Amino acid sequence: MLEIKPIFHALCRSKIGALLLLLQIAITTAIVSNAAFIIEDKVSYLSQETGYPEDEIFSFHVMLFGDDVSSHQQFELDEAMLRRLPGVIDAAYISNTPLSGSGSASDFSINPAPEPGLSARTSYFFTDDHALNTLGLELAAGRNFNESEVIVTDNNEQRANVTIITQVLADELFPDADALGKTVYLGDIALKIVGIIKKTKGPWLKDSRPDSVALIPYINPNISGNFIVRTDASQRAKLTSTIEDEMLKNYDKRVIVRVRGLDEAKESYMAQDTLMMRMLIVLITILVLVTALGIFGLTLFNISKRTKQIGTRRALGARKSAIISYFLVENAMICSFGLILGCIAALLLGQLLMQHFSIAALPTSYIVGTAIMVFVMSLLAVFGPARRAANISPSIATRTI
Amino acid sequence: MLLHYFDLSWRSFKRTPLVSSLMVLAIAIGIGVTMTSLSVYHMMASDPIPSKSSQLFSVQMQIMDDGNTWWTKDNLPLQLTYKDATNLYRANTEGNRLSMVRSGFSIYTDSDTVKPFSKSARMTTPEFFDMFQLEFLYGNKWSQQQEENAAPVVVISEELNERLFAGENSVGNIIYLDNESYEVIGVTKNWPLVVKYYDLNNGAFNEPESMFLPFSLVEAREFGNWGNTNGWKHEDVRSFKAKLQSEMVWVQFWVELNNAQQKQDYETFLMAYMEEQQKRGRFNRKELIYSLRDVNQWMEYNNVISEDNKILVALSFMFLAVCLANILGLLLAKFLRRAPEVGVRRALGASKRQVFLQHLVEVAMLGCFGGLIGIVLAQLGLWGVRQSYDYYSSIATMDITMLLSAPIIAITTCILAGLYPAWLVCKTNPAIYLKSQ
Repeated sequence: MLEIKPIFHALCRSKIGALLLLLQIAITTAIVSNAAFIIEDKVSYLSQETGYPEDEIFSFHVMLFGDDVSSHQQFELDEAMLRRLPGVIDAAYISNTPLSGSGSASDFSINPAPEPGLSARTSYFFTDDHALNTLGLELAAGRNFNESEVIVTDNNEQRANVTIITQVLADELFPDADALGKTVYLGDIALKIVGIIKKTKGPWLKDSRPDSVALIPYINPNISGNFIVRTDASQRAKLTSTIEDEMLKNYDKRVIVRVRGLDEAKESYMAQDTLMMRMLIVLITILVLVTALGIFGLTLFNISKRTKQIGTRRALGARKSAIISYFLVENAMICSFGLILGCIAALLLGQLLMQHFSIAALPTSYIVGTAIMVFVMSLLAVFGPARRAANISPSIATRTI
Repeated sequence: MLLHYFDLSWRSFKRTPLVSSLMVLAIAIGIGVTMTSLSVYHMMASDPIPSKSSQLFSVQMQIMDDGNTWWTKDNLPLQLTYKDATNLYRANTEGNRLSMVRSGFSIYTDSDTVKPFSKSARMTTPEFFDMFQLEFLYGNKWSQQQEENAAPVVVISEELNERLFAGENSVGNIIYLDNESYEVIGVTKNWPLVVKYYDLNNGAFNEPESMFLPFSLVEAREFGNWGNTNGWKHEDVRSFKAKLQSEMVWVQFWVELNNAQQKQDYETFLMAYMEEQQKRGRFNRKELIYSLRDVNQWMEYNNVISEDNKILVALSFMFLAVCLANILGLLLAKFLRRAPEVGVRRALGASKRQVFLQHLVEVAMLGCFGGLIGIVLAQLGLWGVRQSYDYYSSIATMDITMLLSAPIIAITTCILAGLYPAWLVCKTNPAIYLKSQ
């Protein structure tokens, strides 16, 4: 019915063209399936939930150079001023901005250093009792810091003694018991766990443990500090534009830098991955177009070469649909071989990438999906020229060149 | 003869404008995509200081006791402790050397017109300017004497000088950094650095610092570190003094060794230093390890070229291969259609070689057009990269090497694609076509 055998024999007469097409389809399948996998990986990384209401929060950095005030007292005054500003929901001092790519991390252990014990790498923020509300974090258990637990100091002798940690970290350090009320150690500093946060992310989304985070109620700002402010999403732009003046009005011997929304901080941390994702999308789009064009061009050429042959077939009684199906079947045959080769190439390329780079194994679903897409695309590319071929008049057969 | 071939090629181009344009477009897209990713790669990989990149070495020492691990591939910390850096700097060895740390300040001047702002600074020993070939616009670096005395002096960049002093010779002026006064003693010329190779810890493509101050000020004025500080064991560090004495690593150290002998001597010296420290109770480990990496090795070691970039370059070349297959198919179609004409030419006495050459010239011309349009497309692509990621603004550009290699790659690709069709067409047996005419 599909006349596979004669079509195959006809194909064998113009091997090179078919072979080139086959090769193109194979390479396209290999590239597209791997690129699509990397894109999907990037997309899920870029769009992950952080646990913060990012569009309501902004942060800025203060560098104090005046020496007629003490920085920790000044920062307390600033905090109070920030909270009074119209449109501000809450504000807090924090040692580093979450999601921004800069921060501190250390091992949190269940035993005081240097005693060995179960420990986990944890990113921590020095902040105060307003952090939870400002960052919009939800507690799974326990409570927020009391005002009395927040240590505001300018000497290194005083230390905090409580902490709030994430559920992930709690489960890791205390797999069999409830972590609430237990003590963890940052070096030899004992910190009692008073609260457990449901879910949040630390400064580095690319970290091996982005979810292991601890808040410590301790403010020792030295000469520079970081503030986070939560506002109504619609008020944020207005506040970020006036915040420098407000801060300088409070005390002017300082510099305010890096005023930006939490989403902006995240975007700039992720910019390289966004770029890679965009470049890959452009690459595979153009690639598919080029391959489609190649199929289109080659079919057109084949038809012009076989005009007389097609006319003869039509004259002998072939229907238009038979001519169309001839080209479709021919293309499907080339495409199928190409796809078989392409799937193997995709697997090999995937393995190569996995060996040399930190990329997971390519799931077969991506290869199958790509193969189906390429197949459909090739049929679409052939359909136009095939219809043109079907319209060749039978009378052409009666003429010589 | 060649001119004649060009003429023939141009005629042939005009005769089949659609197919020819398609081919040019295919090459142009292939070149555009490849050159975009290759340019970024090329800028990242280019040697930042070719005249002495093999003489500058970043020094690493394995200071951790046995059983501790680091995240680098050979387990070595990237920086040195303050005490090791100071000891190595003071040691009596041959060749320039420097210690440095990144810091930063709020800046203001006596003038009211400049609003206070903040900038990063490099605290370093005076060898920095010679070793990394930084030139002076005005003034000079600080002396060894000033380095030892922790003199409050500063060298500023041309850009900062523009902002603070409207570009005038500012040597002798006073600027305030975190409320302390410093005398400007030099202004450096603009330093067009693509890769900040001397400090790869915090963004390899960040701009160089705009201020340089004596390293000894770090201890004298207890400056904070704007770079990385990493500890590897538990230490009770509550004061700046304790930090200077600690095993935390936060100082970068480079040496300039001009020949193999100097390098070998320095290696011997490093080993002896570590053994001596071991006797004093540090370096509790079986094997003493140090490492000297030159500029290019250091960039490779620090993965300046990211994984993503390598993957992109590889995929782009595969993309180019698809374009090549595409062109090959179209060329085959185009040339074979012309077989009757070639038959006549052959019958009239053109040799196979001449026919072959004629077709290669035609293909090369297509490649040249494609390459030129490809450069335009690549510029567009690089513009897109810069728009998407301003951190890459200094890297996402084409230098002269890349501009020249675009048409070369295009023409080579096309000639490769054209070899088979041209060979096929020059084999044409004239008799067949003469008969059917």
